[in-house]
Amino acid sequence: MKESSTEDFDSLFVTEEDKRGRKYIVLIIVFFFLGIASIYAYLSVSAVRGQMQVVIDRAADSPAVNSSLFSELKQKAWLESRLKMASLDSVGMSIDLEQHIIQLELKGVVVMSSKIRDCSVSGFFKKIDGNVYFETFGKPLAIKEFKSSIAKNRFKVVEAPKDTIEAQKAADAAFLKEKEAKKNENVYWTVKLDKGFDLDIQGIDSIAEAQKKYEFGKDFEFERDLKNIANSFQHILKFSKPTYTPEILISIPENEAKAILMALPKTNALITIKI
Amino acid sequence: MIRNFFIYFIVLILGVVFFASMVLFAIPALQDSTVALVGLSAKSTSSDSEATDKSAIIKEINKLQKKLDDYTPTNGYMVVNTTENHFYLYKGKQLLRDGICSTGKNEKLISAERNYSHEFYTPFGVRKVLRKSPNPVWKKPDWAYIEDGLPIPGPNDPSRWETGTLGAYKLEIGDGYMIHGTIYKRRMGMSVTHGCIRLLDDDLEAVYKTMEVGSKVYIY
Repeated sequence: MKESSTEDFDSLFVTEEDKRGRKYIVLIIVFFFLGIASIYAYLSVSAVRGQMQVVIDRAADSPAVNSSLFSELKQKAWLESRLKMASLDSVGMSIDLEQHIIQLELKGVVVMSSKIRDCSVSGFFKKIDGNVYFETFGKPLAIKEFKSSIAKNRFKVVEAPKDTIEAQKAADAAFLKEKEAKKNENVYWTVKLDKGFDLDIQGIDSIAEAQKKYEFGKDFEFERDLKNIANSFQHILKFSKPTYTPEILISIPENEAKAILMALPKTNALITIKI
Repeated sequence: MIRNFFIYFIVLILGVVFFASMVLFAIPALQDSTVALVGLSAKSTSSDSEATDKSAIIKEINKLQKKLDDYTPTNGYMVVNTTENHFYLYKGKQLLRDGICSTGKNEKLISAERNYSHEFYTPFGVRKVLRKSPNPVWKKPDWAYIEDGLPIPGPNDPSRWETGTLGAYKLEIGDGYMIHGTIYKRRMGMSVTHGCIRLLDDDLEAVYKTMEVGSKVYIY
């Protein structure tokens, strides 16, 4: 039985010319995919390196940093950055990834503080040190764009009732709607920062639901990821580097993720990060 | 022939799966690892006068921390979370009390018929207590009548004056916004007000006694 199957197999690939042709087509396709994957890998890594080079170049004029004093200088930069944020009238956010704390600050006063439950940071940030760190995180970062799974501004327009009966009905309906709104929501939001980074905040109330929320986050980001892949392929076809955006993903309790989203101003919101 | 096709097909599928896993998982993982950045580094030096530098920096850190701490009021102040409808009463860094409140419903009331519109929201930012008084009397504004589907009386009509609606105390925080009590206890903890901050009776009393004229209210 085995012999016969080996024979058949050989006859498929070796003997007949047309079958040999088919074999080559399959091999060409496989090698084509391998080639594309290799080019994609090369260009993707080049994109990361290119992005890092941009950050390093930005810090080219800043003085070198004494590496043995790095943690003290980092603490100093962190405080300076928060003081800058305090000079504004609007709410700002400070994220201390060393202490695993995320805070809302208003005029220098911490109005909300939350313990970070989980955090994932691109390797890109782990390589940011020396003068590059201070050039990147020495000043507050500005939010350029918000995207969220829940409406950031829930302002609604209501037509005035014609009489007291209609008014009562409207009040009761609003009460029920407000109660309904208290129900559990999937909170996931992402912001684009002016230095070319993404910050993703995901609401998680328990470790048990972390996987479910992670899946939700993936679904929420699916469109963005798809766009990134499409963009990368366009670059591959042109043999140019695709764009790379380093990310920080933070998981905090759901109500706090929601409160922070609502509190940050739509324009000119600032964030201070310590990594 | 069928088996022949099957083998080609499997090889093709494996190629596609390999490619997809490279694109979707392996390459992004490589991008996110530090391996991709080997050989790139920032400018750093080592200094001979390290001890002096360190003490100078620590001095500066302490100075900056003090500057930041000075922003926190030493007297009573209040923090209001409008998303959670929760308030916190502090004195310095000490939390004295916290509890539910009700804040603005984020609504725009429009009446095309009466050519009128009004927005109900609690403004974010820092405000100060401008005035405070017990047994407040509420002068009902026009929107209260429009919202209830009632005709608007004259500006000084006696029907505009209501006692008890605002609870036992009020603290004015500017632009017509107040911290006060409520008769609508069932709706506490919800975003249902016209912009004011409603508190339960005991909480209101504590806030009234702790907060002075000039005390700050942080709203977000």
